[in-house]
Amino acid sequence: MSSQPEKPQVPDETLVRRAQRGDMDAFEELVARHRDKIYARAYSMMRNEDDAIDLSQEAWVKGWQRLKQFQGESSFVTWMTRIVINLCLDQLRKHKRQRAESIEQLDEELGGVERQMPTVTVNPTAGLERTELRARIDRALGQLSYEHRTVLILHEFEDLEYKEIAKRMQCSIGTVMSRLFYARRKMANLMVSYKREELS
Amino acid sequence: MNEDQLLQLQAWMDGELPAEEARRVEALLRTSPEAEALVSELRVTKGFLAGNEPEAKVPETRDFYWSKIRGEIERSAAAESAASAPAPAPAWLLSWRRFLAPLSGLAMVAFLSVLSLNLYHRAEQDPMQHLVEVENLDETIGSISYKSQSENMFVVYLYNKDQNPDMDEDELFDDQVLQ
Repeated sequence: MSSQPEKPQVPDETLVRRAQRGDMDAFEELVARHRDKIYARAYSMMRNEDDAIDLSQEAWVKGWQRLKQFQGESSFVTWMTRIVINLCLDQLRKHKRQRAESIEQLDEELGGVERQMPTVTVNPTAGLERTELRARIDRALGQLSYEHRTVLILHEFEDLEYKEIAKRMQCSIGTVMSRLFYARRKMANLMVSYKREELS
Repeated sequence: MNEDQLLQLQAWMDGELPAEEARRVEALLRTSPEAEALVSELRVTKGFLAGNEPEAKVPETRDFYWSKIRGEIERSAAAESAASAPAPAPAWLLSWRRFLAPLSGLAMVAFLSVLSLNLYHRAEQDPMQHLVEVENLDETIGSISYKSQSENMFVVYLYNKDQNPDMDEDELFDDQVLQ
């Protein structure tokens, strides 16, 4: 049985150009290609499936509406990721305004807990398979406050500089540095605790 | 170490420090095992996060997920075109229109009345105001004008030149008559 040669995939750039001319089928193809990535970003920030679905879909709608503004300075999926991040940040700000901050949360924001943590000297992820490592990272992200989680995602996964993160999170660079520092410290210690769980 | 130093260590690791400050941090790292241990931990954390972002898949089928996006795109496009069309008058304005239409007619009549009265009074004050120049082309008819400011009066007397050949209108236009 001879194998069929694989049909070459149309590049994103071509689909974007077609979508910019109003071709909705081309846009649907872009959605199908990148929907998991956009959803995953929304989920990592919101930690809620329903919010992640709604916000990722809203991001695609905004993407269509602003498609003419896309000049190709970054990749299409990077551009879309920025849109969904901004929507998530807006939503998180609304949530934050609505809920009363507990003393514990304020303490965490200031790094009160993380300040007391011992320095991690051994890599707590050594020997883990990638799937397991990702699962543990996901679990640890879920245990961070939204401020710590967001700054970590924007810096480590989106490769944004302090200045850019401060702009997006509407806070000072000093606050970004502080949040990132304590988010990393907490993440390291959480990974150590998961390692201990595994061994016990 | 104080908090500023901790954050400086992190900024140095992230490559966000200017050269001079970076040199100061490097000097600290050479002398402080605590600083060195902390940077090591930060590096480990950065390392295991890199490229290991948790993955997630949309928990909906492609068609269902897309149908909601498409529906929203179409709805907002329809709303946009409706917003750009001229808005119909609100219901309350339509119901008021039957009262407002006769009222506007009355207002117009009142306005014209006031205007005409105003013109009439002006004419009373100065009879010359709305006089127009009339050229007499008939050589057989002569005219004599008389104006009195005190009486608020202006009179034009027309006569047949053939019947009154002695009347000379130039003579009649003296200062006294025209005053």
